Amino acid sequence: MNHQKKQLLHRLKPYLFMAPALLLAYVFSYRPFLRTIANSFSVVNYSGQIIDFVGLENFRNLFADQNFLTSLFNTFRFAGYFVPLNLLFCLICALLVYKKRRFAAFNETLFMLPMAVAMSSAALVFRALFNPSIGVVNYLLHLNIQWFNDPRWAMGMLVVLGIWMAIGLDFLLLVGALRSIPQSIMEAAEIEGAGPLTLLLRVQLPLISPTLLFIVTTRLRDSMLLSGPVMVMTEGGPLRSTQTLVYHMYLEGFAGGNYSKGSAISVVVFLLTFFLILLAFRAERKGVFYQ
Amino acid sequence: MLKRRIRYRVPIMLLLLIVTVALFGRGVSESQNQQKTEIEFWHPNSGLLGEAMTELTEQFNQTIGEEKQIVVREIYQGKATDVATKLRASLQAQRPQDLPDLAQIDATGVMDVRESDYMIPIQNFVEADPDFSLEQLQPGTVLSMTYKDVMIGMPFNASTILLYYNKDAFSKAGLDPERPPETLAELAAYAKKLKITAPDGKSITQYGFAGVPSTYELVSWIGQQQGVSYITDKRNGHDGNPTQVVWDTDGTLATFLDAWRNVYESGGLGNLTSDVRQQFIAGKTAMFVISTSSLATILDSVGDRFTVGAGYLPKVDETATGGVNIGGGAIFIFDQKNDARRAAAWEFLKFLTSAESQLLWHQRTGYFPVNMDTYELDEFKQHTDANPLFGVAIDQLHDSDPRIQSVWWPNSYQAYYDIQNAVIEMLEGGVSTDQTVQSLSERLNRYMQEYNRMNP
Amino acid sequence: MMTTRRMQHMINAIVATVLGLIVIFPIYWAFIASFFSSAEFSSWPPRLFPSSFSFTHYVRALTQSPLLKFMFNSLLVSGLGTIVRMIIAISAAFSVAFFSFRGKRILFFLLLGTMMLPPDALFIENYLTVSRLGLVDSYLGIMSVYLLGPVQVFMLRQSFKSIPKTYHEIATMDGCGDFRFLFSVVLPLSRSVVLTLSLHSFFTIWNTYLWPLLVTNDPNMRTAQVGITMLGYADSLDYGPVFAAISLMVLPSVPIFVLMRNRIAEGIKAGMAVG
Repeated sequence: MNHQKKQLLHRLKPYLFMAPALLLAYVFSYRPFLRTIANSFSVVNYSGQIIDFVGLENFRNLFADQNFLTSLFNTFRFAGYFVPLNLLFCLICALLVYKKRRFAAFNETLFMLPMAVAMSSAALVFRALFNPSIGVVNYLLHLNIQWFNDPRWAMGMLVVLGIWMAIGLDFLLLVGALRSIPQSIMEAAEIEGAGPLTLLLRVQLPLISPTLLFIVTTRLRDSMLLSGPVMVMTEGGPLRSTQTLVYHMYLEGFAGGNYSKGSAISVVVFLLTFFLILLAFRAERKGVFYQ
Repeated sequence: MLKRRIRYRVPIMLLLLIVTVALFGRGVSESQNQQKTEIEFWHPNSGLLGEAMTELTEQFNQTIGEEKQIVVREIYQGKATDVATKLRASLQAQRPQDLPDLAQIDATGVMDVRESDYMIPIQNFVEADPDFSLEQLQPGTVLSMTYKDVMIGMPFNASTILLYYNKDAFSKAGLDPERPPETLAELAAYAKKLKITAPDGKSITQYGFAGVPSTYELVSWIGQQQGVSYITDKRNGHDGNPTQVVWDTDGTLATFLDAWRNVYESGGLGNLTSDVRQQFIAGKTAMFVISTSSLATILDSVGDRFTVGAGYLPKVDETATGGVNIGGGAIFIFDQKNDARRAAAWEFLKFLTSAESQLLWHQRTGYFPVNMDTYELDEFKQHTDANPLFGVAIDQLHDSDPRIQSVWWPNSYQAYYDIQNAVIEMLEGGVSTDQTVQSLSERLNRYMQEYNRMNP
Repeated sequence: MMTTRRMQHMINAIVATVLGLIVIFPIYWAFIASFFSSAEFSSWPPRLFPSSFSFTHYVRALTQSPLLKFMFNSLLVSGLGTIVRMIIAISAAFSVAFFSFRGKRILFFLLLGTMMLPPDALFIENYLTVSRLGLVDSYLGIMSVYLLGPVQVFMLRQSFKSIPKTYHEIATMDGCGDFRFLFSVVLPLSRSVVLTLSLHSFFTIWNTYLWPLLVTNDPNMRTAQVGITMLGYADSLDYGPVFAAISLMVLPSVPIFVLMRNRIAEGIKAGMAVG
C-alpha cells in the first residue's frame, strides 16, 4: 500500500511542482485571453455577459471608427519617435562612459538614477516641468510651446518621459555590452588603422547587436502597451493626440462599459505584439551577430 | 546536518507568516469600535473642496455620529468620472460588497446607477422619514435628480455655470468692468478688444476668451433656446434611455455653432482644452466659463493679482432666454443589505443637506445651497453681501427655467471629447455648420444605439 | 602636454556629466519644488531655488494622506510578489530541468506562451476574475496578475540546465530529497541569476500603475504609484504636497541606489549573459 502511494507521489511530483505556475497561467493569461477573443466577436452587455454573436462586426466597426484609427496611429507615432530616440540617446551616453575613465563611475550613477523614480512620480514631475505657464522647460529652452494644449507637441512630452524612464535600464545594458567586447578585438582593429567611427560602426555595434535587438524589441513592445503615462499626464488629450491603444481600451472597456469594443481593441493589441515578437526573431536570425 | 535544517526553518516560517498576512490582509479599518456602524462615502472633491468635505465629515462624526454611534469614512476616489468608473466596475461584477454606502455622482455617472438594483432611490428614504420634507430643498435640484418620476439621488452640490472675467483686463481694454457680455455676439466683440498679442507678433499673451464648449456648456447653450430645448430625446435621458439627439432637427445646435463661429472670427478666441482655469488664473485669458464650484478656488489662487468678476453665462442670442442648467451632482445610497448602515447613510445625508452644512459648503466652494433654509440664515446674507460673486450663481438660477436638464447619456466621456473635436474642426478646419451638426450627431447617435443594443 | 586621447576622454567626461546633470534635473527639481510656496510655484520666470526651506508641504503630505501606508503597500506588494513569483518560477523550472515526464515539452511551452499575452491587454477580464473572487482591495488581488513570470521560468531553466545532470543522479542515489537538492545545490549555484531576476521583478511590480489603480478602491490599500496621483489630482494648482510626497519616496532610494550601483549593474549584466 505504502509503496504504491510512494510510486504515485513520485510520478505526480513533476506535475505538482509545475502546478502553481500552470494554474496561474490558466487563470490570468489563457482564460482571460480566450474570453476576450470570445467577447470581441459578440455583443456583451453591461454585466459582462455575452448576449449575441456577431462575428467580425465589432472589428469592422472598429476600423471604420476614426477614433480607433487615431489611437492606432498615435501608438505607432509614439513608437516611431520613442524607440529610435531612446536607443540613440542611451547609446550616446553609454559610449561616453563605458571606458572606465576617471569620472565614469560618477556619470554612470547619474544615468542610472531615473530607475529609482516610479513612473507616476516622474509623470507628475514632468507635468509641472512642461507646464507652459510655470514650467522650466519652456523657460530654459526659450520656447513658447503649449505642451498640454497643442496636439502637435503633446506626444513630445510622453516621448521625453518614456526615454527618461528607459535610460536607467537601457544605459546599463549598453554599457555592459560595450564592456564585454574583448579588448583584444578593439586593439586589433585599431592596429589595422580603424578610426573611431569605423570602430563604432564595424566593430562595436555588430558585437553588441544582441543587446541592441533586445532593447529595440522590448521598447517596441512597451510602446504598443503604453497607457500609464497617458493616464497620468494627458488623458489622451489634447484632441486625442496622445490617445494610445491600451488607453483607448480603458476608455471603451472600463470607463465606457463597452466590453465588446474593448475586447476587440485587446485583440488588435495582441496581434500587434505577436507580430513584433515574430519580427524580432527574424531580425535575430538575420542581423544579429553572436560571438 | 542539524544546523542546516535549523538555518532553513526560520526563514521559511517567517515567509509563511508574511504570506498568510498578505493573503488575508485587507485594508485596516481606522475605527476601533465594533459597536459603531461604519459607512463609506466616495466623492470626487479635492483641494479646497476636499478640505471642506473632510471638515463636514468630521463635524458629523463628532456630533451626530457620536450620538448615534455612526462613523463615516470619506474617500476621495479621483475625478467625477473616476468615481463613476469605479462604481460601474463593482456594479458590473455584481459585487455590492465592494460598493460604498454613499457616493457623490454627477451627470456623467448617473446612467450607470439609475437602473441598478443595488441603488436605493432617495425617495424611499424621504417617504419613510416624517421629519424630512422635500420642500426644504430647492425645487429645481429635486427635479434634476428625478428619473421616471422617482427621486433617485439627493442633491448635494448644486452649481450653475458662470462667466468668469478679469476686471483689470476689462478696464485696460476700455470695457466697463461691471458689465460683462450678455450674449455671444457681445462676447465676440469683447474678446476682440481683450486680445493681446506679443510684441513679436507671433504668440498671444492674453486671449479674450478661452475654452472649447462641450457637453456641460451645451446643456445650457442648447437648453436655453426656444424656451426650453434638449440635446437628446426623452428629455435628455431623464425619462428613459435616450435613443438619438434632437438638436439637429430642432436646429438648436446649428444656431449655437453659428454664434460660436462668430466669436472665433473675432480673433479673440483661444481653443484651449485643458487647464483653462489655470490659464485664467495666470492671466493668459481674460474670460472663460466654468462651474460656480470653482469660485472659491479661483479667488484663492488669484489672490490680489487682479480682480475677479463673475457674470451670467452669455446667451446664445437675444431670444435664448431659458437660462442655465443646474449642474453639480447628487449623493446616491447603495444597498448593503444592512438596516443599521442604511439608516446611518440616511442620517449622514440629512446632515450634509442641512442648512448649516450647506452654508459651510457654499462658502468654501461656491456651490449654491440646496437647502432653502440656508438662504434665511443671517450668516448667509452677510457672506453674500461681503462676497457678491457668490450670489451670482444663485441669481442666475432664479432667472432660469427649471426644466432645463443635464444630459444622461452613455459614453459620456467619449461624447465630451467628440463634441470638442467637432467644434475645433469646424473652427480651424473650416467645416460647415451643417456638416458638423450631421457628423457629430451621427457619432453620438451611434453611442446611444450601441448602448441600447447592449442593454435591451 | 596632453595627448589627443586624454583630451578626448576629458571632453567625453564633460559632455557625459552635462548630460547626466540634465537627466537628474527632474529629480533635483522635484526636491526643490517641495519647498516652494504656492506663490513661488506660479511665478514666472520659474524659480530654480526656494527662498526658504519650510516643511509645511511635508507635514501636509504626511498628515492628509496615508503616504506611509502607500509606501508600505508598494513595498509589501513588490517584495512579497517577487518572493512568491520566484518561488513559483523556481518550482516550475526545477521540474522542467531535472525531471522527465510525459508532456514536459508542451507544458513548458504553455508556460512560456504567456509571454505573448501582456497582462495590460487582459485587464478587463482579469478585473472581473479578481473581483468575483472577492479580491478587490486586497494585497493578493494586486499581486495576483504578477505571480507568474514566464521570463523568470525560462531563465531559471537555462541556469538550472547548466548544472550537470550527474549532480542530481548522485544526490538521488544518496537518498537526498528534492527539496534538499534544490536548497543545498541548485539555488546556491544559481545565486546570481536568482538575485538578478528578483531585482528585476521587484522593479517591474513596483512600477505598475494601471492594474493597482483598478483593483484598489480603499485609499489605505493603494500603492505608492497610484496614491501619489490621488493627492490633489484634479487641483493642478496644489503641487506642493505632491512633490513633498515624491521626494519622500525617491530620496531614500537614491542613496541605496548609489551604494548598490555595482551590485545592480553586475546583476543585470549577468542576467543578460544567461539569456
